[in-house]
Formats: sequence, C-alpha cells, structure tokens
Amino acid sequence: MDAEADESFRDFVANRSSALLKTAVLLSGGDRHAAEDLLQNALIKVAGRWNRVDEPEAYVRRILYRQQVSRWRLKWPRRELSVAEPPETSGPALGTDASAAAELRVVMRGALARLTARQRTVLVLRYFEDLPEADVARLLGCSVGTVRSTTHRSLARLRTLAPELAALAPAAGEQLSSRDYSPVEVRP
Amino acid sequence: MNVEELVRAALHEQAAEQPPSGPGLADRVLTVRRRRRTRRIASAAVAVAAVLTAVLGVPRLESGGHDVRPSGGVDHDRTVKADRPAKTHSAQSLPRTTIAAGNTVMAAYFTVKTDWQTERQGVRVRSYWLLDKKSGRYEKTTKWSWVAVAPGLKTAAVLEQHLPVRRIGLLDLASGKVERWFPVDHPVGGLAFSPDGTKLVATAYDKNPDHRTKEVGNDPVTPFDSRRTSFYVFDVASGHGTWAPVKVTPGMMGIPLNVRQDFAFSRDGKTVWGGQLSKPYMRFYDASGHRVAAPEGEKYRDWFVDAGLSPDGTRLAGDFAGEKWYTSSWLLDPHTGKHLAEIHGQQLLAWADDKSLIAWDLAKGDKDEFHSRLVLVTIGSDKEVPLSGFLKGSDGTEGRWTPVFARR
Repeated sequence: MDAEADESFRDFVANRSSALLKTAVLLSGGDRHAAEDLLQNALIKVAGRWNRVDEPEAYVRRILYRQQVSRWRLKWPRRELSVAEPPETSGPALGTDASAAAELRVVMRGALARLTARQRTVLVLRYFEDLPEADVARLLGCSVGTVRSTTHRSLARLRTLAPELAALAPAAGEQLSSRDYSPVEVRP
Repeated sequence: MNVEELVRAALHEQAAEQPPSGPGLADRVLTVRRRRRTRRIASAAVAVAAVLTAVLGVPRLESGGHDVRPSGGVDHDRTVKADRPAKTHSAQSLPRTTIAAGNTVMAAYFTVKTDWQTERQGVRVRSYWLLDKKSGRYEKTTKWSWVAVAPGLKTAAVLEQHLPVRRIGLLDLASGKVERWFPVDHPVGGLAFSPDGTKLVATAYDKNPDHRTKEVGNDPVTPFDSRRTSFYVFDVASGHGTWAPVKVTPGMMGIPLNVRQDFAFSRDGKTVWGGQLSKPYMRFYDASGHRVAAPEGEKYRDWFVDAGLSPDGTRLAGDFAGEKWYTSSWLLDPHTGKHLAEIHGQQLLAWADDKSLIAWDLAKGDKDEFHSRLVLVTIGSDKEVPLSGFLKGSDGTEGRWTPVFARR
C-alpha cells in the first residue's frame, strides 16, 4: 500500500468504522469485543485489496455477513456470547406503555444474544437490513424454506428465552409453528 | 406490536446506542496485516520446499493409477418406461448400487473434502462415484474435479483436477476412457449437458471456483469474489464450440454471485441460464452471451430448485412449502408461477415422470434437518418410496453426498 492508498484507507476507517461496528455488534449478539475482532479482520481483508475495491463499505459488509454465513454453513465451532443471568421467567409487571416497550426491547436484546450465530444472522438480515426472504436465501446460499424456518425457529426461540414476549401478537414469521423444517445444502 | 416489530426495534436501538469505534483502529489493522503477510510469505516458502522435496523424492507419478473406473461393457439402450419400478436401497449411505426411478437414474454422486494447501488457502475437492451400468455399482474415482453425465449414461463430460482447466474430456462411461478432448482458451470449472445431450455448456472462471479461505481465526470462509467470466457452448458431435463473455454485475449487498455459479441449459436447449443473487434471479442468454427473454415455462424457475420443469412441461418444481405436511414443496404453474399443488419432499431434485419426483426428505416424525434421504414422491399420494439411506453428519461434514441425476 503506497502513501496515497494508506491515507485514503485511514480516512475510510475514520469515517465509516463506527457505522460498520454497529452491524458487527448486532451480528455478534452485542459482544463488543467479538464485534471489534470481526470488523478488524474485515478491514484487514479490504486493506489487502484497497486499490482494487471500488466500494469499500459494501465490500466490508459482505465480509462481515459472509464470515457469519460460513460459520453457519460449515458448522465450524462458534463462539457464542455467554450471559451470566438466566432469562427472567416471571418478571415484574411492566409499567407504562413507553417504559414497558423500552423494557421489552432490553429483554429482546438479551434474548437475541442467546441465539445461535445462524439464527441471529438471519434475523439481522431480515429485520435490520430489511432484506426479503428470497434475497436472504440467495445471500446465504440456501432455500427460501430454510430462511423461513430459521426465522420461525429464531422467533419461537426468542419467546422461549424471554417469556415476557408471550403477550405479543404472533408475527408473520411465526406462521410455520407446527411445520418446522430445513433442507439440506443447496448446490450452486 | 408483534415479535418481528420488537426484533426490528431492538436491533435498530442497539445499533444506534453503539459508541464510536476507538482511535487507532487503522493503525492496528495495518500492523496486523503486515504481520500476517510476513507469516504467509514464510509459510509459502515452507510449502515450496515441501513440494520440491516431494518432486525430487518421487521421480515419476503414474497418471490415474489408483483410480477405480467403471468397468467395460456394452450398453443396451433401454426403452423409457414411466412406470419402471424404482430401484431402492434404503439401507445404503453412501450408495453402492443403482438408485433410479421412472426415467431418471442417479448416474453418479460426489463427496467433498476441503484440502488446506496452506494455512489459510484451501480447495474443496470432490470424489466421484460413477455408476457402472454393467455391474450396477457405483465406483469411486478421484481423477475428475467435475463430471456431467449425458442422457443415456453412455457419455460423461469431465474436467481434470486443479480447476480451472484448459480442456474438457468426453468420457466413454462403458470403457472408462476419454474419447475426445475439447481444448479451451479460457479455463473452465463447470459443465452441463443440454437436456437432449447434443450440446454442452462449460462455465469459465479465471480462478478456482472451489477455493476456500480462512480469514478469522480458524474459521473457513466461503469467498464471495466470483471470478466467472464467460461460457462455451459445444456441439458434442462435431466438437465445434462458441465462446460468450458474460459480465458479472454487482447484486444484493454488492455480492454478484456465489463463488461457483455455473451456467446450464434451458429446457429447450436453445438458451443458457445463469443464477443470480438478486433480481432477476435467473438470466437467460443466447449462444453469444446476449440476454434474452426466459423461454416458455421457465420464467418462474429458480436456480436452486434442481428439478425444474416436468417432462410434459405442465408443472414447475418449486421451493419448500411446509403447509400441508411437516416437509413438503410447491409445484407451480409454469406460466403464472402460482401454486398448483403441494407435494411431499423437503427439496425437489429431479422428475422421475410427469407426476413423480426424486426428492430429499426426512423420515416421518424426524426433526433433524440434515438427516434426509432420497425418496420418490408422487402428486396426490401420501406415500413416499425411500431410495437411499440417510445422509450422515450435518452440512459440510463427512457422510454427506450429492447426487448427479441423468435421464436413462
């Protein structure tokens, strides 16, 4: 990397690393240290191709997701966030609507951290990136059915992890409740 | 508020709350990168030394000496009968003897193992088991990196190891010998026959489409840097081929294609299609590589559903359904894309006749998503005929095999 490339890389990191770190944190279930590792490795990769990459931010985001996808598809040992406290099974009654909503979001965050990397990746792609099921399926190299069933199981798992969510209305992604399934790997 | 809305809100809130990244990140990245590069150069030097040692120690290698290939024998053309009984071997996994149903036979299958050539660079290597029609057994070969079997099971198109390669072999499946080689200027990594077997499409890549890397710790990563460049269409009888460049355009989230995204023929054999990760998910091309409209009945096809159109063209195999049964798939109207019927089967692989398909499926009551086997499913029937034993392991582990089907 020459001096000019070095400078533009540093500018990119200074301007965009905070936004990229947010995505990495979500993928890592709120584990800031794991997210920083994830982002650092993605930045190392983009640095190696700095002069050949037209859209570095898109490139780094692809790396972040692909790392998660690869861990899922290859069933490699994963690091999961350990959470000291077990989920509340009979929490206090929630207060006002606003505070109840805020508390629910905190509860949800804790439950998201307890999902597997596979489940969390699908939820981040569906509900943070707002990608439709078909796009998630193509991105992850699996069928729409796999995305659907993983979404369903992930949402069901969230309810199990956080009984406070039981009062919430069923979501569209939970409609496969008795038909859980996933196909085998898809040949590209 | 429902759970989906709460997940969305929680994720956005969590993202918004994150403090900025700390100072010095660029410095750390550049320092680590320099260290890794130094280590890789050192590793490469060790690898070169190892190769030199091997070459000096083994002066001559016999080509294919350890391959077991299909034995010789005369193939007798069979009359296609839609009601031909299925050949099933429900206790076998890996399969040893012929698996077939209706007009379709499992002509081969392969297993995959990643060969880590350096600390961080590897290649997924396939081992094939080709059906010897005379003995009715699948025989292992490690000679080929890719095998496409033509209808009738007399000929296979093969690529040698170390993709991409600069020649395509036409293998006589009876003798086990390559009868002809088609040289190519642009190296190729994948092959597919036209439905009538008269044409062959070869997908060109400028880098091995089966390469894998390790980027984070010891985790293998599926690269996304597709290097697909073009395709060839060969007339199998004459060996005449045309070459067509196809530009890879950025798709969803900037990811253009899977690292391996081979071309294949449409049902009528007149156009070539390639899968995409974003809309339109299937792109069709003429032999010159110009985009053309989807052929009749294939507009609603999706590239990851292998079965495609039924032989009579009245039904299109679709994606997972899961509404009527625990595992099931949709059959679509090929002209409208609307659901025609729901059929048993987790993943539809190949049509056996106009009303039956070979599919992966779980045993009744089984909830292990990876514990599937080949079955024959029929429209309007609750009965499944097991064709193979169950896959072992889970995605990406040993014990998995992938079928290659051909018309008898």
